[in-house]
Amino acid sequence: MFLTEKKDIKEIDEALNKYKKVGIIGCASCASVCLTGGSKEVREMEKHLKDSGKEVTFTISIDEPCDKRVLREDIRFVEDEMKNTEAVVVLSCGTGVQTIGEFIGKKTVSGTDSKYIAQTEHIGEYNALCGGCDECRLNFTGGVCTITLCPKGLLNGPCEGHNGINCEVYEDKECVFVKSYELMTKYSEEENLLKIFNPRDYGLSVKRTKI
Amino acid sequence: MRIIPQIETPVSENYINFEENLIKLIDEIKKTELSNIDTGQNLPQIIIEQNFGVNGLLLCKDLKDKYGNVNIAYAFNMRDKNRISILSDLITLKQIGIKDIIASEGLHPLKTVFNAAKPVYDLDILGLGLILKRGFMNYLEHIPGKDTQDFFNLGAVVALSSAVDGLKIKKLINIGADRFIINYTGKNLDEDIINYIKSEKKEVILLVKESYIGNSLENFIRENVNLNLDGIIIKILDEKTNVFTRQ
Ligand code: SF4
Ligand code: SF4
Repeated sequence: MFLTEKKDIKEIDEALNKYKKVGIIGCASCASVCLTGGSKEVREMEKHLKDSGKEVTFTISIDEPCDKRVLREDIRFVEDEMKNTEAVVVLSCGTGVQTIGEFIGKKTVSGTDSKYIAQTEHIGEYNALCGGCDECRLNFTGGVCTITLCPKGLLNGPCEGHNGINCEVYEDKECVFVKSYELMTKYSEEENLLKIFNPRDYGLSVKRTKI
Repeated sequence: MRIIPQIETPVSENYINFEENLIKLIDEIKKTELSNIDTGQNLPQIIIEQNFGVNGLLLCKDLKDKYGNVNIAYAFNMRDKNRISILSDLITLKQIGIKDIIASEGLHPLKTVFNAAKPVYDLDILGLGLILKRGFMNYLEHIPGKDTQDFFNLGAVVALSSAVDGLKIKKLINIGADRFIINYTGKNLDEDIINYIKSEKKEVILLVKESYIGNSLENFIRENVNLNLDGIIIKILDEKTNVFTRQ
């Protein structure tokens, strides 16, 4: 799931300052799971905007607003109302906000802050385990991501600051290289213990963005 | 065993005064009893560490120009520079004739006053070793090739508190690191790993913060003399008043 958090409502109000007729689009996928863009949050936003004197022209939850195919189908349900709308508040991650903005060609206001790809522990408690680095190394690390779980994103072994168990930065957490070593030993992956990773190719992450 | 002071470049003090004080410190160290155990002829006499103070390369060049016979090492971290910037520093170091470099991963910005700064970590120390010793980036035509790879003595700062440190050290040996600088944390060191490094004909040096030493540097040295070390680096905070000047 891609984790989002609710934005400070003042920022949304300021972004909508010039607009009277406002629509609201929620995300029934990730943002719904993390309680930032499901139907309840859409209703709360509707109430807030009405209380602030806005005319809410429509509300809709779209299964995956980041998927253009789904968006194209679902947005037809509010086609007429959209014509009479000046701005749209989108309660989804930044990808959803931009996909909708590009598609409708109207002022689009983000209602969330986008965080990271998250593992859900409980609602409200999440962990970042993968940063989407383009070249997954999990098959060589015992299955833990040193890029994401090491605050320094190191590839080839622990920094000089750990104490044998815990991380220098997050002192209550285990150094991921200690964990990685335990797992490689557990799975008898001797061939990976001395594997040298070349420096990351950051060009890959730039090439994936085509404007 | 050579005892080497390491100091960060100054933040507020004029760098010319700082250099003069450093030279006085080196002369003082020569006069103390420490000189009896100081036989590390190939090791540097002083380590200039780049953190956020005055530019360390400038300091190294100026010290070299004014006090040519002082053997200097340049210490830097992977936190602050990407591979382009590091390459620029290496080319500069080569031109000013500094062979000894000491690389650490560096303290994360979250543990410093710059806690909103973006750490770089474009390379880790292994990545730096690949540049220095295996010609990674030799595809750039204008970068000096083989002679650069042999020019620098790469000192890698490592921990020595768990088995996984031993693996990192082995990887560093495999790519040609020359020295291992063990970050001292007050815990007992794994002598097997130290002996392994020595068996690979690499130097082992202990890096100790002044605060760990207590009142007597000589006592500290005596307590660790059995460890088969080539040197001890003492990280001092002030070039005028420190554990050396208090001896
Ligand atoms: S190595 Fe880590 S950041 Fe990269 S894809 Fe795998 S899990 Fe994600
Ligand atoms: S202690 Fe381990 S996890 Fe923490 S910053 Fe250092 S290498 Fe990374």
